[in-house]
Amino acid sequence: MKLTPRISFYEASARQRVAGILDAGSFREILPPTEQRISPHLGMFGAPVAFDDGAVVGEGTLGGKEVYIFAQEGKFRGGSLGEVHAAKITGLLRLAAIRKPAAVLGLFDSGGVRLEEANAGEIGSTEIMRAILEAQCAGIPVIGLLGGSCGCFGGSGITSSCCDALVASEEARLSVSGPEVIETVMGVEAFDSRDRALVWRTTGGKNRFLFGKVATLVDDHIPAFRAAAAALIQPSEPLTVESLRAERVRLARRIDDYGSCTDARQVWRKMGLDADRVPDMTAAELTAAKPA
Amino acid sequence: MELPILLDQLFPEGHRVAAEDWLVSGEATLGGRPVAVLGTTNHVFIGIRESIALSGKLLDIVERSPGMPIIMLVDNNGQRMALDEELLVLPEYIAHLLRAQQLARNNGHKLIAVVYGNSIAGGFIAFGMLADRIVSVPGAETSVMKLEAIARVTKMPLEKLQDLARQVSVFAPGCENFFRMGGLHEMWADDFSSRLQKVLESDDAQDNRAILGKERGGRNVALAVIEEVRG
Repeated sequence: MKLTPRISFYEASARQRVAGILDAGSFREILPPTEQRISPHLGMFGAPVAFDDGAVVGEGTLGGKEVYIFAQEGKFRGGSLGEVHAAKITGLLRLAAIRKPAAVLGLFDSGGVRLEEANAGEIGSTEIMRAILEAQCAGIPVIGLLGGSCGCFGGSGITSSCCDALVASEEARLSVSGPEVIETVMGVEAFDSRDRALVWRTTGGKNRFLFGKVATLVDDHIPAFRAAAAALIQPSEPLTVESLRAERVRLARRIDDYGSCTDARQVWRKMGLDADRVPDMTAAELTAAKPA
Repeated sequence: MELPILLDQLFPEGHRVAAEDWLVSGEATLGGRPVAVLGTTNHVFIGIRESIALSGKLLDIVERSPGMPIIMLVDNNGQRMALDEELLVLPEYIAHLLRAQQLARNNGHKLIAVVYGNSIAGGFIAFGMLADRIVSVPGAETSVMKLEAIARVTKMPLEKLQDLARQVSVFAPGCENFFRMGGLHEMWADDFSSRLQKVLESDDAQDNRAILGKERGGRNVALAVIEEVRG
């Protein structure tokens, strides 16, 4: 039997992820590092800059279909949203609304807004959100891929949640306030951010999959992300009062059913799962066990 | 600014706007025409319950009052920071609230956010920053993170940060800074009612904040980068 080596999404750089998700050799980067669009703000903090400001944007094909793609580089300042970083992504999404590729893929890996550029990053993140919503109104689906080492928090957590569909690995973490932030503001008894198992079962990909926010759970393997993203490409569903009422009912029911839970294990037990087994299950096993 | 004073100054022709706990809603008359009013008060934290309460009101407005302008009154202390709410996927609830705002925009509603209290981080994103136009009145406070916290994370001395904050707008709290970055379209000192009517007369709902940031010298490169990528 031939073993397929695992190609970790978690460990890869933004460009390695892009190369592995798209058809081989199809990626054409817009404003590549040679163009040197660096942060105009980090210098005054004595902080290093990157020639791409931690955001890779461009176009390529996936299974022969034309797609646009952006990827956050978690290895540069935690994939944080700075002025240039956010503007590259907004520009790509606005281009997508005009040129109408089959989809926009967003490879998120970000702790949120870059604090040295807090105002620019926060405004920039909402420009991205509006651009996502407007691309969707033009029928373009925006598909988020989560599984990077920085997780997906703050402005990036909300941004990725605006996507039509998410693909995530167990290693993905998605929330608004990161565990460290909650611990700093509310105290360690509110959230012990050093308890890695607690962090993963609260914000990790498995929990987000079981609640239905993540459409496809995959193992930490770039080809698995690629296949899942390709399978999710379909025109964005139009926003209607009915569709949003239905979404609201689903979210309200979640509060009714699980609003008193203080730990993911309680949630999983209520779902009828063996809570002790969930952390050890593969993506395929959990997908099979997920209640309808 | 106190909510009752704000309402009287925004809507001197009269309003039927009530606050239940933290949720503000109703209708008002402006220039002889009805407008919907939806907002928050008491520096509420925006969490999962607040998000769907607000989205429910927005969907009611879209359904029952087609095309009516929506005046969003902004006062929050940020997103609710709690393990049990993140456990239930808080960002999904906020994204749902943003989708409801986009639905309103698609259906011809103008969305005008009036920041009159606090507007902080994820709370401001959830309710305010995705409006067509965003304005502030005296007493409003916008912030992403306090300087003390930025100092801790960036390991910069607080005094150095305070000094920098006097020179640039990019990171420090405050409406003036947000305005210079293009995050607020207008800052009102007085005459709210006629200013609001003037904003409502404009048909332009495009996201023009990068243009404002450039014009005001707060964000000098975002617009150029957006345009270079867009081609």
